[in-house]
Amino acid sequence: MFNVIIAGVGGQGSILASHIFADAAIRAMVAAGKNDVKVRLGETFGAAMRGGAVASHVKIGKDVYNPLIPVDKADVVLGLEPLEALRTGVEYLARGGTAIINARKIEPVDVTTGQIEYPSLEDIKQALSSLGKEAIAFDATELAVKIGNVKVMNIIMLGVLAAQKKNPVAAVFFEEVIKERVPSATVAMNLKAFRAGLKISKETVNRL
Amino acid sequence: MSLVALKDVNKKVLLMGNEAIARGAVEAGVELVSAYPGTPSSEVVETLASLAGDFDYYVEWSTNEKVAFEIAAGAALVGARSIVVMKNAGLNVAMDTFMTIPYSGIKGGMVIVVADDPGAHYSSTEQDTRTAALYAEIPCMEPANPQEAKEMTKEAFKLSETLSVPVFLRSVTRLSHASGDVTLGKLGRPKKKLGFNKHWRIPYRWNVYGPPGPVSKHEWLHKQNAEAEIILADSEFNFTTLTKGGKTGIIAAGLGYGYAREALLELGLEEEVNLLKLGICNPLPAAKIKAFLAGKDTVVMIEEGDPVIEQKIYTFAQSAGLDIKIFGKGTRQILPPYGELNVDLVRTGLVQVLGLATESNTVRSCLKERISEMVVPRSSTLCAACPHLGSYWALKKALQGQKGVHIVNGDIGCYEQGGYGVFASGITPNNDDTRAYKILSPYEILDTIHVMGSGIGLALGQAQVGYKEGKILAVAGDSTFFHAVLPALVNASYTEADITLLVVDNAWTCMTGHQPNPTTGKSPTMGPAKRIDIGQVAVAMAIEFIKTVDPYNLEDARQAITEALHHRGPSVVILRRECALQVQRRAKFKDPETKVDTSKCTGCKECLQLGCPGLTFNGTDNVAGIDVLNCLDCGLCQQVCPFEAITMEGS
Repeated sequence: MFNVIIAGVGGQGSILASHIFADAAIRAMVAAGKNDVKVRLGETFGAAMRGGAVASHVKIGKDVYNPLIPVDKADVVLGLEPLEALRTGVEYLARGGTAIINARKIEPVDVTTGQIEYPSLEDIKQALSSLGKEAIAFDATELAVKIGNVKVMNIIMLGVLAAQKKNPVAAVFFEEVIKERVPSATVAMNLKAFRAGLKISKETVNRL
Repeated sequence: MSLVALKDVNKKVLLMGNEAIARGAVEAGVELVSAYPGTPSSEVVETLASLAGDFDYYVEWSTNEKVAFEIAAGAALVGARSIVVMKNAGLNVAMDTFMTIPYSGIKGGMVIVVADDPGAHYSSTEQDTRTAALYAEIPCMEPANPQEAKEMTKEAFKLSETLSVPVFLRSVTRLSHASGDVTLGKLGRPKKKLGFNKHWRIPYRWNVYGPPGPVSKHEWLHKQNAEAEIILADSEFNFTTLTKGGKTGIIAAGLGYGYAREALLELGLEEEVNLLKLGICNPLPAAKIKAFLAGKDTVVMIEEGDPVIEQKIYTFAQSAGLDIKIFGKGTRQILPPYGELNVDLVRTGLVQVLGLATESNTVRSCLKERISEMVVPRSSTLCAACPHLGSYWALKKALQGQKGVHIVNGDIGCYEQGGYGVFASGITPNNDDTRAYKILSPYEILDTIHVMGSGIGLALGQAQVGYKEGKILAVAGDSTFFHAVLPALVNASYTEADITLLVVDNAWTCMTGHQPNPTTGKSPTMGPAKRIDIGQVAVAMAIEFIKTVDPYNLEDARQAITEALHHRGPSVVILRRECALQVQRRAKFKDPETKVDTSKCTGCKECLQLGCPGLTFNGTDNVAGIDVLNCLDCGLCQQVCPFEAITMEGS
């Protein structure tokens, strides 16, 4: 069983990222002849309005029967935004789990209007690594801008997920789905973003 | 090409529950699709609308669920296969026809899909609509996963046609909005010739009053239910699994099955219990249930929503003379009868029933408690540049010019956030009826919110009983106007009620995902369509005060609302401006040109009271700012700033 939660803010592409991952997982399992492995994706998103907290649960395994990951059972929390990584991580990150965090914060309106303070990135990393095994943070938004468009941040993050040892889905399946699911004019840029993400690990992150 | 439309039979693909239902309808050869959007049901028909070009069926977003229901029933009456889709609350709107169509029955297969929302993620209530299927005496299916959702949809068409009765498919949020592997089946079936016969199989078939009258049709419906019980007795959707256990049985329905399986696995109890999975909650498979109950001393019922099946299990046990302790959401309560189920709740419930030792880790729970304090909220707000921000500002200013305790009756749509109270803190309830509350943000402006169209109806009651302590208003959106406001507005005109209706018209049904409606000028497949003007409708209803203004022009809007409030009798102000998200999707935006001149900003925070997420505030320097990622240069904050500190280049 491999459990991942992709958390972010509405508009960041966490839903697309989770669909790419789940779709790739089905193709990988079919290709490997593992017909008894099931893939489920559960989404919690708000209404059509912008800016809400969004989390998608992806489960891959033989004993998967429902779309939601139980408390303390997420092997990876892929946080497209630090506060959302923390919100999801505190509930779901497994003791041996990894939190991968895009360090670029999106302040909620409660913070921008000066009512409450946003926690520091160091505190968030510290908190998540105390709950799980490790927490990696880097500015994926900045990297996305360098690659060509802020919107490919979610795909960079998918690359980092694909590179995790625990992940059972080979990169080639991610790439196959990315080609089908992103707008055709942006395929090359998205593949570049995915491959950039693949190279990011705990060891390389400090050099970014 | 969309995965839903693939022609590859037996291919395994990722589908969302709502897409799986849509695929099931296409595989069943659906001929008519109707719906009113409502989260979490909308994607069924969004999917079917997007595929309408590839397949031969009619699809529409109807003005409300009752109309949608009647359209689907009408099609089924002449022999077509039809599907109607709505959310839990939508069924309440369709209720009158929903209760009566089963008496006449239908000819072609008719499937009613209703998506419930345990946990009320997107709804006013947690109502369990399986009860409604029982009330209407029609078969009800409850899928456990996307694959089953597709298969059940197909089966529902077949069953409906066999019985000549509509079949109910009950989804929930975690099915509709969850995705999973689905193996595709064959697409479509040849279209049948449509036909109509007023005495089809029964005299005066389609006329419940036709001789010998409604009771005879009710009797016929009961015969069909008995027939359904026979047909469904061996349905593959009800099955026993985990058969090695002894005296403890788990019965799980719909999504409850998945929670039960994973909870049993976690507890290592798969060999200790027996499990009966139910996919059809009406009619229940009596023989299967009685055989399962025999020899058990403990049964746990796991179902999402109310203890609908649980109550029937009591009856089964009693009629079989079995002395079984039945646990669930009823008398022996181990699961909360409100809120949404999950694996953790089911596991805790099973631990309680079976008297298992509980694991506790105080170190981790203390750590979690400490970390939770760091998690600041991310409050939901209206979008940056949302026209409703302008409407609410103008309304606030207009009301500030009037003495009294005003009542603003809200409604359902994005603008319902006018009642979310997100920036409010320290509210203390009290009994003082004479107290007028100061409205600081748009999120505190709506005083009542219930259901579609209820705002104006409540306003009429307040006015007609003689409430004179302040102004009485109602706010409704464009889609809501056509959905449920029309009859109440005629009522207002006819009875000359002294109320003001604000229609916040942004040309789309936004909150459910931007579906087109009669104000949009677009068809469900985004082709051109007729546009119906709300102002013209109000004219036809003989409303004497009607004004249409742009909510981006705050002074115009404030003035129009003020005039409407002074008008005696019903008045209508239409605040018209297209949804900012839709405008943004079409246009390519550069960085915003709106700026805060920090030398002029006094830190008064007046602009923040607009409630726009495009505005920020720096507490250290005591100045407002612009969030460049959010701001769309709508110009509202510029109009609001008392010190001309907010400027836009080129304006």
